[in-house]
Amino acid sequence: MKRLALLVIALAVAAPYLVHALQVQPALKVPDAEQFVGKPKGTALAGQALYLRTNQVAALLRCPVCQGLSVADSPSEMAVNMKGQVRELLQRGYTEAQILQYFELSYGQFVLLEPKFEGVNTLVWLLPLAALIGGAVVVYFVLRKLSAPTAGQRPAANAPRPDDPYLARVREMVGGEGKS
Amino acid sequence: MNRTVLIVGGLLAATLVGLLTLSLDRDPQAIASPLIGREAPTFALREIGTGRTVDLAQFRGKPVVINFWATWCAPCWEEHPVLVANARRTPNVQFVGVVFQDTEEKIQNFLNARGSGYPTLVDVEGKTAIAYGVGGVPETYFLDATGKIVAKYNGPMSTDILQEHLQKVMQ
Repeated sequence: MKRLALLVIALAVAAPYLVHALQVQPALKVPDAEQFVGKPKGTALAGQALYLRTNQVAALLRCPVCQGLSVADSPSEMAVNMKGQVRELLQRGYTEAQILQYFELSYGQFVLLEPKFEGVNTLVWLLPLAALIGGAVVVYFVLRKLSAPTAGQRPAANAPRPDDPYLARVREMVGGEGKS
Repeated sequence: MNRTVLIVGGLLAATLVGLLTLSLDRDPQAIASPLIGREAPTFALREIGTGRTVDLAQFRGKPVVINFWATWCAPCWEEHPVLVANARRTPNVQFVGVVFQDTEEKIQNFLNARGSGYPTLVDVEGKTAIAYGVGGVPETYFLDATGKIVAKYNGPMSTDILQEHLQKVMQ
């Protein structure tokens, strides 16, 4: 009887702790790439290949808290976390295109160091080319103009030819006057 | 030739001036989030102080304000009382803080000193911040009752700005 009473008391004391211990906490969960870009479409990487590919893909992403640095080059915590995520996604078999798409869906095209060839972005690719071609055309015309004889060098249309007999006669007369 | 150069040069200059004028009232830091209009990235993170897991899904059915912040961010100090006051004033909206690149101890000390009115969660390796496209703090996301991101605000919020954004998710 005494033992039973002791057991009841012990259970009563321990009950709150037992209830707390038995309460199942939901598992921690961070946002997953699958919600954005679906299941992996590539081959899971490991070892040296994973290391190299992580650097290659991270070099295509802009560090959002840096000034013009890629995720591969930046030592900031943000870039380190992003690079870690690139590594994890490659490990799970996500392709480069899927990984870039994942980051683009969060940050927009701003996060891609190479703008896509679409919409207004096409200007980023085409304008330098157009400027180069335009510059070449300008240089061509300027050089052509420079190589042509200038007004001072070119004989005037009505200038007398050196072998003009009339001119020779005038010179002869002028010379004759000088001699007399 | 000189006339052509003048016309082309004038046109180019006018285009540049036009573009610059159009951009005058734009904040270069404000980059529109591609997440607006999409379902918010889901997460279940540990709450500072209690240790319990808080799942974003448990708030489905009411508007949610997710504020990314840190104790090392001065504008976050400025914004904190606004968020706490508004969280208390609008109980039909769930406020959630997510810690950005900070230590739990510092956050706990900050909350002990300045008070809190809603759960503050620890991000794991910054993955939640990355999924939400956070580039700096404070950044605040406004989710409607269906879990869709309706608006995002970069920088510290005043009560007016916060209320203006809350109107969008409470419609």
